[in-house]
Amino acid sequence: MAGAFDFVPAIAALPLLAFVVSLFAGQYMPKRGAEAGILATAGSLVLSIWTALTVAGITGSATSYNENLYTWVAGVADGAVTLRLGVLVDPLTALMLVIVSLIALLVHVFSLGYMNDEGETGLPRYYAGLGLFTASMLAFVFSNNLLMAFMFFELVGLCSYLLIGFWFREDGPPSAAKKAFLVTRFGDYFFLIGVVGVFATFGTGLFAPITEGGTVVAESFPQMAEHALEDGESFFGYSAQTWITILGMLVLGGVVGKSAQFPLHTWLPDAMEGPTPVSALIHAATMVAAGVYLVARMYGFYLLSPTALAVIALIGGFTALFAATMGVVKQELKQVLAYSTISQYGYMMLALGSGGYVAAVFHLTTHAIFKALLFLGAGSVIIAMHHNENMWDMGGLKDRMPVTYWTFLSGSLALAGIVPFAGFWSKDEVLFEALIHGFGSTGTLGTMFLVAYAMGLLAVFFTGFYTFRMVYLTFHGDARTDVARDPEPVGWNVKGPLSVLGIGAATVGLINMKPIADLTGLHIDFLHKWLLGPEEGGWPALTSTGLHHYEELMHNVAGIDPAYPLGETTTLLVSALVSLSLALAGVLVARSLYNEPEPVEHTDKLGGAKTLLMHNYYQDEYQVWLAQGVTVPLARAADKFDQGVVDGVVNGISSVSLFTGSRFRRIQSGVVTNYAALMTLSLVLLLVVFVVLGGGV
Amino acid sequence: MAIQTQYFLLLSAAVFCIGVYGILTRRNALVFLMSVELMLNAANINLVAFSFHHGNLTGQVFSLFTMALAAAEVAIGIGIVLVLYRNFEDIDVTKAATMRW
Amino acid sequence: MPVAGPIEALLAVTLVGALAVFLAPDEWAGKLATAISLVPVAVSAWMYTAFDGAGNALLGGDLAFESTIGWVQLGRYELAYHVGLDGISMPLLLLTTVLTTLALVSSWTPIDERQSQFYGLMLLMEASLIGVFSALDFFMWLVFWEAVLIPMYFLIGVWGGPRRKYAAIKFFVYTNVATLIMFVGFMALVFGLGDSISTFDMPEIAQALRAGGNLSAVAGIQPANLSLIAFTLMFAGFAVKVPVFPVHTWLPDAHVEAPTPVSVMLAGVLLKMGTYALLRFNFTMLREVAEANAAIIVAFGVLSIIYGAMLALAQQDLKRIVAYSSISSMGYVIVGLVAFTPHGFGGATFQMISHGLISGLMFMTVGVIYNETHTRMVGDISGIADRMPWAVGIFVAAAFGYMGLPFMAGFAAEYLIFQGAFASSVIPAAPLVTGVAMFGIVIVAGYLLWAMQRTLFGEYSLATDYDVSRAPVHDVAPLVVLLALVIVLGVRPGLVYQMIQDAVNPLLDTALQGGVALW
Repeated sequence: MAGAFDFVPAIAALPLLAFVVSLFAGQYMPKRGAEAGILATAGSLVLSIWTALTVAGITGSATSYNENLYTWVAGVADGAVTLRLGVLVDPLTALMLVIVSLIALLVHVFSLGYMNDEGETGLPRYYAGLGLFTASMLAFVFSNNLLMAFMFFELVGLCSYLLIGFWFREDGPPSAAKKAFLVTRFGDYFFLIGVVGVFATFGTGLFAPITEGGTVVAESFPQMAEHALEDGESFFGYSAQTWITILGMLVLGGVVGKSAQFPLHTWLPDAMEGPTPVSALIHAATMVAAGVYLVARMYGFYLLSPTALAVIALIGGFTALFAATMGVVKQELKQVLAYSTISQYGYMMLALGSGGYVAAVFHLTTHAIFKALLFLGAGSVIIAMHHNENMWDMGGLKDRMPVTYWTFLSGSLALAGIVPFAGFWSKDEVLFEALIHGFGSTGTLGTMFLVAYAMGLLAVFFTGFYTFRMVYLTFHGDARTDVARDPEPVGWNVKGPLSVLGIGAATVGLINMKPIADLTGLHIDFLHKWLLGPEEGGWPALTSTGLHHYEELMHNVAGIDPAYPLGETTTLLVSALVSLSLALAGVLVARSLYNEPEPVEHTDKLGGAKTLLMHNYYQDEYQVWLAQGVTVPLARAADKFDQGVVDGVVNGISSVSLFTGSRFRRIQSGVVTNYAALMTLSLVLLLVVFVVLGGGV
Repeated sequence: MAIQTQYFLLLSAAVFCIGVYGILTRRNALVFLMSVELMLNAANINLVAFSFHHGNLTGQVFSLFTMALAAAEVAIGIGIVLVLYRNFEDIDVTKAATMRW
Repeated sequence: MPVAGPIEALLAVTLVGALAVFLAPDEWAGKLATAISLVPVAVSAWMYTAFDGAGNALLGGDLAFESTIGWVQLGRYELAYHVGLDGISMPLLLLTTVLTTLALVSSWTPIDERQSQFYGLMLLMEASLIGVFSALDFFMWLVFWEAVLIPMYFLIGVWGGPRRKYAAIKFFVYTNVATLIMFVGFMALVFGLGDSISTFDMPEIAQALRAGGNLSAVAGIQPANLSLIAFTLMFAGFAVKVPVFPVHTWLPDAHVEAPTPVSVMLAGVLLKMGTYALLRFNFTMLREVAEANAAIIVAFGVLSIIYGAMLALAQQDLKRIVAYSSISSMGYVIVGLVAFTPHGFGGATFQMISHGLISGLMFMTVGVIYNETHTRMVGDISGIADRMPWAVGIFVAAAFGYMGLPFMAGFAAEYLIFQGAFASSVIPAAPLVTGVAMFGIVIVAGYLLWAMQRTLFGEYSLATDYDVSRAPVHDVAPLVVLLALVIVLGVRPGLVYQMIQDAVNPLLDTALQGGVALW
């Protein structure tokens, strides 16, 4: 009997179909292709939920699935790797599938309000892009090997390009689209080397071993790496440890690019040129999560390299703080959210780096909900404000658009990390894990974790501040422009998705209230249990992507252990209190500065730091300089060299031949007498030579 | 009493040199043609002389062929000269130099 | 053995067809040529389905559609008409026939004078290309190889742009001198082999060389040095055709001056002659020399990749951008070949096919835009997407294909090359070198995206006085066909990759020793 797992490919195939339908038939449909997208994503959501239920053991016996379904390239000779596409379903996959298809569905519905009702043209192209993106993202999520993951990773990059550049008639979007693709491509370059390296080293890119009847028929590369480490093998002249670190860092390049981590974060704020629903779906909730998801997916591999973990944690902690400070001075609603997205993904990286696997997945989940909510809320505001995004032109929208306000507030409280909204639980767990692992791990690794923790903790304050600066400026005080006094009303297709997500942002944290669980002894840390799987046998042992296995590796290989400097419960409480009070402090500072009828800018008080922050620490400048100040002149120089030297030699040879010819042809005078004289002379000369030398020559 | 062969050869050499001189110094195409004929006939004298010297008729027969050939050559040559005259209004060979490079 | 097989049919149809088109009136020469060229497409498609070859053509594999006819005795060498296909030449043959037909259709709009001669020459070129990819006797192969130049010379020199004469002569002289150099190298081998061969049959020569010990000293040059000299000369000769840095400068000039369909054939098929010959001669016959000099060869490949891409970045002419990027793409083929791994050889051969399709597609798309705007300069056009949505959509798709987007042929080829090169035991520091070569995929994205941003998007403006409208259907149809082929091969590389692997794997069968390194 066909179970849910047999339909997993259809989760991606449905939106793909919607892509084709929207592209070719969208212009004949009343909603220009949105119908196809909504139906397909709804279908995907149903199938994803069914898959999740099956993984939970409710609607089927098998709780995990890992099969190769399609041989992309069959290697015939010995040593020629075979490249396949397949499906891996485990709790992580199932969770992510539900998140992606849910948000995709909501964004499709929201687009009806944001795009159709606003009378945009080119909508079939828009919905085709959304469909292709959803398909690629879902396929990326259930990829069972690294190459397949890379392939769909690139496809989501393409969709991101197409959708950012949707308004191609303006100058900004095409430029932003180019930047987004190029910067992520730079990261993907390293990722691709990593993929090639993994295949060349292990001969497979499987994330999890494929089993048949309880025996492993195809091993996964994290496992093979683990064995290689135990056996002290060496690859390409490096010890297994070094080589695994190298491969891990290479793949991390793609992660840093896609998840917009320092130093490849610069594309994300520019990507806000795209339509707001696209920002919500792609540049906040899903595609940007692809990088973090990839690290979680191959976590068994990263745990083998403490160096890579430390780098991940440091990048994460630094990015969290770095991006949060830039968010403080932005004037445009979506820009604040963009920097906040970068910052929040930094938290996830921090969690993954410091051994907080559950915390990272938890934060990924909650962030997807509340950041999609905030973007859609921003979209609602933007509709109301006739596409003016400057917060200084808003104000007082609270009473005029209550649904948007209350849902946006729910999202903001979640983002700021105020109890009991979603973000509090997840961010708290991220920081807590970093803290205890920082104390427990030996040597420099522990120090690194603590440094990263400190940066993450500091970022909490800034997060609270910029979030509520945004809320106060947008919704509170007096309306500062005519448009803000009389905003355009929004329809059900905007309010509906907002309400769903607003409730989600308030409640989704409940799936993993670890502090409460630890304090009360109640087993309400559902996400933890979800990722842990059944205690005995079942999928965690076989697929080796379960939490049990990761905890073993953390202890045995990476040397990450928890330690509680103040005792378990006290540490937990202190950590939670510290982060909460920092968040509240941020909120209160924002309130005192901006919760006025006529708020004024306070950024001048920052002095020189303001310029620095407004210019995003000159990150864009130096990257643009690298491209336009270094690469392009270099290319021009190469062109000059090519035209002058390389082609110059060719033309030079030709000129020399032509010149010699032009001299020699003067013999050919055209006067018969000259020819006759030459012939006679030559003959005489020959005769003389013969006479002088004799006939013996 | 026969004339010795070397006198024929001297005559032939003299005629040939006159021909060569004509070609090298004259510009008139008709004189050119005549000079060529002289050279050709110098060769004929040689052929006949050696034929006589060896008592072998091959050379004489060959010279007959050459004469026939020379006649054909003159026909073509005169034709060329005519065309030359039509195109250049002159039969000066140094003027017809337009087909070089 | 049947004397008249499908290959003979292909040659006959194209040659007779060329004659017929020469004599046809200009008005319908294009249609007639296209109709005639459909026959080779159908025949080669049937050949693909009926393909029963196994192994490598030069190394004793079973040939498909083989036929041999004795011809003349030249000294002690017997020259013969010998044709046949293996897994390497079959896809290239198919590429030739398909691309010719599409190029012919894409000529309908831009070619508006001397049509019958143009289309006749195109068919003549197709005949020669079919000969190059199917001939197995060196003498005959050389005849076809040189015969390709003649129609190409006229196609550029008569129908080209303002500097067409310069470009045509440069192309002709450059490649002709290269052939001479290559010929000297090959003849050195023939003389070195002495009595051990009695024909110019390429399989016989290849097997005699690979058996080892058959070479004897020529003119005081010892066998090991002889094979090194022969390798160097042949490599230099074929490198011009590929083209490899630094003998590439004829290519941009030829592309810029050539009309669109000719550029399509030049980039799509003619460049592959170079890599095909490298594979057949240098890497099959003198494998040990190639292995010993892998470091130098791979350096040329990597240099071509990066240097070609950098040059493309500096160009202002869309066609020049694609032309330079071809140098870059063909560099990947060199890197793949010299890796001496299954996926290296296979990926390199697959790249010949995929680059043939994708570069053909790119040139055609640029051509379609040029037909409407009459300019190709980046600065002259902007926002063209507004007026030609479908053509621009295909342009974007083709550009992403060029950048190596997964599920398009280019990605499959490049990935396989990287996979093969990374694991190579022949290339020194293979992972590092491969990593450097792979940087090409970043630069290619840079220049294509940048060019697209400036020409296709933004506010519509055009520097020339033409009214831009949607391209006619017969201009866009070949693009759609090519794009479909690129995607099909990207999703299912096995369609040709299986037979390619079958043909290239014997190249790795025996380990040969004794190659002399240049230094």
